[in-house]
Amino acid sequence: MSEGQTLEGWMPEIGPHLSLEEVIDTAFDYRGNITVMKVDGSQAEGYLFNRNADAAVPFVQMFDVNGAGPHTIPYREIRTIRFTGRDTAAGNSYAAWLRAKEAARSGSTRPAGA
Amino acid sequence: MSLPVSQMWAVASYVIKQRLAGRKRYPLVLMLEPLFRCNLACAGCGKIQYPAQILRKHLTVEQCLAAVDECGTPVVSIPGGEPLMYPDIGRLVKELVARHKYVYLCTNAILLKEKLEAGIFTPSKYFSFSVHLDGLREEHDEAVCRDGIYVQAVDGIKEALRRGFRVTTNSTLFDGASPLRMREFFDEMMSIGVEGMMISPGYSYSKAPDQEHFLRTQRAHDLFSTMLSNPKRGWRFNQSPLFLQFLMGKRDFECTPWGNPTFNVFGWQRPCYLLQEGYAATFRELLETTRWENYGRRSGNEKCRDCMVHCGYEPSAVHHTFATWRGFRDTVAATVTGRY
Repeated sequence: MSEGQTLEGWMPEIGPHLSLEEVIDTAFDYRGNITVMKVDGSQAEGYLFNRNADAAVPFVQMFDVNGAGPHTIPYREIRTIRFTGRDTAAGNSYAAWLRAKEAARSGSTRPAGA
Repeated sequence: MSLPVSQMWAVASYVIKQRLAGRKRYPLVLMLEPLFRCNLACAGCGKIQYPAQILRKHLTVEQCLAAVDECGTPVVSIPGGEPLMYPDIGRLVKELVARHKYVYLCTNAILLKEKLEAGIFTPSKYFSFSVHLDGLREEHDEAVCRDGIYVQAVDGIKEALRRGFRVTTNSTLFDGASPLRMREFFDEMMSIGVEGMMISPGYSYSKAPDQEHFLRTQRAHDLFSTMLSNPKRGWRFNQSPLFLQFLMGKRDFECTPWGNPTFNVFGWQRPCYLLQEGYAATFRELLETTRWENYGRRSGNEKCRDCMVHCGYEPSAVHHTFATWRGFRDTVAATVTGRY
């Protein structure tokens, strides 16, 4: 994903053009909290750190927003996933750092992360 | 090569035992990440971009030791995150040393002086600080995205050396690195008195902010060839000379992704230290259920195409040393002559 683009706020609906497996894979790559919308109507919010589509019962694993876990949720219990948390990988590009550093050198602002 | 003889012997006897036991895949160095939290936010690092509740988490010492025992490697590297921010780092190192594991604590050294003064570490032949320095002051401070860190790290190194600790450096090189400046850096580190240096090209983490500056294969060969040809007699590298020859394009190895397995708060990382394609609950599960044929340059995997990083290829070099008489002879020759 290029600089400035993020999945933050994405609320995908599973359908003929988007499978649950694709959404889970995308959530696995996402560096922010997500919310699992379950088929029974309940929700689970947290960081999805693992998924295994090859297991006898495919599952995802996550730590909740308080860091508790890991909680394991079978694929079959998931309706969709919403990308509700801040994307921690977005907006921290090297180019942005160089721009901020240049600005700091010219006496205006301090570089991010410094 | 600057490793103590006892460490070389420990690694050699371990590898020979694995080979005599007929093990096709065995680990060499455990990458133990007790936490992801760090006091820097480097542009080349994809390790720390997690939500707050994940950054607050860390392994217990007992979890770390269980992973060490399960994996069985003679060498344990503790990266992170910044391991000096791990609240039990003193006890963890003490326990590992008591198990006669050779420990490399990989640190940016911001907290090194403070921790040394607090007396939480004791010098040992089993324990080395591996200080992250990506070059001289200007290059390093730019790589870590904060001014003043090089000076702080060098102060920490000097203090650790003064107190009798083993100290090495580890440097990740990116596109645009100057061979001449790196040679000056090697001179500088040797003059300070570090035991040895470790160098490796960077890897383009998909989540690292800096995607434009990682080395491609040919450029990496050119850089390392220029940097390491005609090496000075006083330079000491704390890594396999065959790996250095691989970086220079003089040898070809295939990746050994199981060679440096990674354990962290998520479990055993598949398939390697750099790629995150899932986690296994046990080391055995990692070894037995990871589709290893999908990784390495010959696999055709796009993510592995340009990778030359030490965690995949240094175990290959070490394995090669003990797989053939020629590999052993070449390693001894390079070690004795200091030529790569």
